[in-house]
Amino acid sequence: MIRFALPKGRLAELSADLLKQCGVDTSVLERDTRRLVLESADKKYGFFLVKPADVPVYVESGVADLGIAGKDTLIEEGRDLYEMLDLGIGKCRLCIAGYPSRSDVLTNAHLRVATKYVNTARRVFADRGEEIEIIPLHGSIELAPVTGLADVILDVVQTGSTLKANGLVVLEEVFPAITARLVANKVSLKTGADEILPLIGRLREAIL
Amino acid sequence: MTFRKLPAGVQDLLPRECRVLNDVRRRLTIRFEADGYEPVLSAAVDYYDTYAEITNALPQEQMFKFTDSDGKLLVLRPDATLSISRIAATKLQSERARLYYFANKWDAQNAGGVKSREIVQAGVERLGEEGAFSDAQTIAFAVDCLRETGLENVVVEVGHVGYFKGLLEACGLSDAQAEEARRLINAKDGLNAERLLRAAGADEGTRAAVAAIPTLFGGAEVFDRAEALTDNPVARAAVAHLRAVHRILSSLGYDESVCFDLGTVKRLSYYSGIVFSGFVKELGAPVLSGGRYDDLADDFGKHIPAVGFAMGLKRVLVALERQGNLPPAPHPDAAVGCEEGAERAACEVCRRLAGEGKRTVLLAEYGEEALRTVCADEKYFAGKDGVKRV
Repeated sequence: MIRFALPKGRLAELSADLLKQCGVDTSVLERDTRRLVLESADKKYGFFLVKPADVPVYVESGVADLGIAGKDTLIEEGRDLYEMLDLGIGKCRLCIAGYPSRSDVLTNAHLRVATKYVNTARRVFADRGEEIEIIPLHGSIELAPVTGLADVILDVVQTGSTLKANGLVVLEEVFPAITARLVANKVSLKTGADEILPLIGRLREAIL
Repeated sequence: MTFRKLPAGVQDLLPRECRVLNDVRRRLTIRFEADGYEPVLSAAVDYYDTYAEITNALPQEQMFKFTDSDGKLLVLRPDATLSISRIAATKLQSERARLYYFANKWDAQNAGGVKSREIVQAGVERLGEEGAFSDAQTIAFAVDCLRETGLENVVVEVGHVGYFKGLLEACGLSDAQAEEARRLINAKDGLNAERLLRAAGADEGTRAAVAAIPTLFGGAEVFDRAEALTDNPVARAAVAHLRAVHRILSSLGYDESVCFDLGTVKRLSYYSGIVFSGFVKELGAPVLSGGRYDDLADDFGKHIPAVGFAMGLKRVLVALERQGNLPPAPHPDAAVGCEEGAERAACEVCRRLAGEGKRTVLLAEYGEEALRTVCADEKYFAGKDGVKRV
């Protein structure tokens, strides 16, 4: 059985559609259920529905053989796994955003960055030698500069409409090409090659 | 109340687990000795410079550091192979040696996840040996050792750093770019590896070859594909060497347990030839890791070609448990109860039983009736009127 870690939310439906195109029986995913572990009727596939940021954890540990995760979470988590395919779905950009002109407050020694990508923010700014204060948030990141909690945010931007509605602009595209990736556990790929490799081949054809 | 807790990433081993661990160690010791390996144990505390000032330095964030009374920086053994290489170059008379060790290594960085910061290892190093036969024997021995621990369906995946190095040689990458390329290849991220090479100005042939590296895994059929991708002599020599290793492993009957992956490019950059990792499907991380490191001892003043591997014993235990191959919790072979005044007789019985190699427990507080409920093959009760079997 191939065990998938699939992200709930934004990518959930897109992922399921893509797998369906490749002959994976995903009907069990369409049913409204509160169960977290699902199996296809033919017992060939198992699915865990997890928070998007947790997909790399499940795959690195080998609890799941394959997973679908945004490049943003892969960058943030930095897990030891194989990135097999760029699925091209869930396109967005990882950006620094804020007000067009940043007010320079004298008592504000460093930039305050609100983000859910704490590791990425630390790395990006450290690479430029900029000292920052990171304000970790879990949602509605745009609220931080609006309320004065932070100077800028580091977040994914899809259409930019939330930014615009709040008077914010993209100051810099840090990672312009964020898409969903198919990731594989390093051991599963070797020990389960008979099942996994043909599926990856079908996925590769489906996205072309 | 921190004195009741342990720092993140380290564990106490309780008796049940410790027993199984010792059992695995005992089996491996017999196996290592039978193949002519000699035991060695490097000091657990060593100078920071030993690991930081060498050609292929360990990242400093990986080492547990503390300061000696003279102000010198010390580390907890961050890598067993490095310390054995130091011993071989500076202390051993002969350059040929087969050594085994049971030693911990410490990794300051790996908190949480599937990784531990105190890594219980068993390993072997074959010093002063070169060639495909030595490599093949070491890989075969790695398979044997994993089986010896009780693991089933073991797979050892073999690669060669020369293939990747050869391809990269032609590109003229900076060290930082080469390391980035290695990281991408190791993550099978061919797309970004190709992008990086394009930016560095590599020719189209090399880019296509690098983009294909992540797909170069499987059985011996990958060798033809790997050779067709490049004319680089270093890369082709690496494939030719793997062919030779494969031929020997085949003739030794290890075909089922060995596969090949030219995209395995390990973080530890002291490897100079073949590299390999051992897996079982029940565990998502390798249980064994090794390779050839011919130039490592150069830093310590001697050229000693060498190959070796280490097993992570805690991972082996987890894999054994998941395969259902852990031995059951043992009960004592013999139990001895005793009443007041018969202490001496009880102790004598215990000594006799222990002398016969039986695991014996003395249950001084147990009366004759209570002793009957104890789970043991033999039971004796020492009373004032003598010892009787219950």
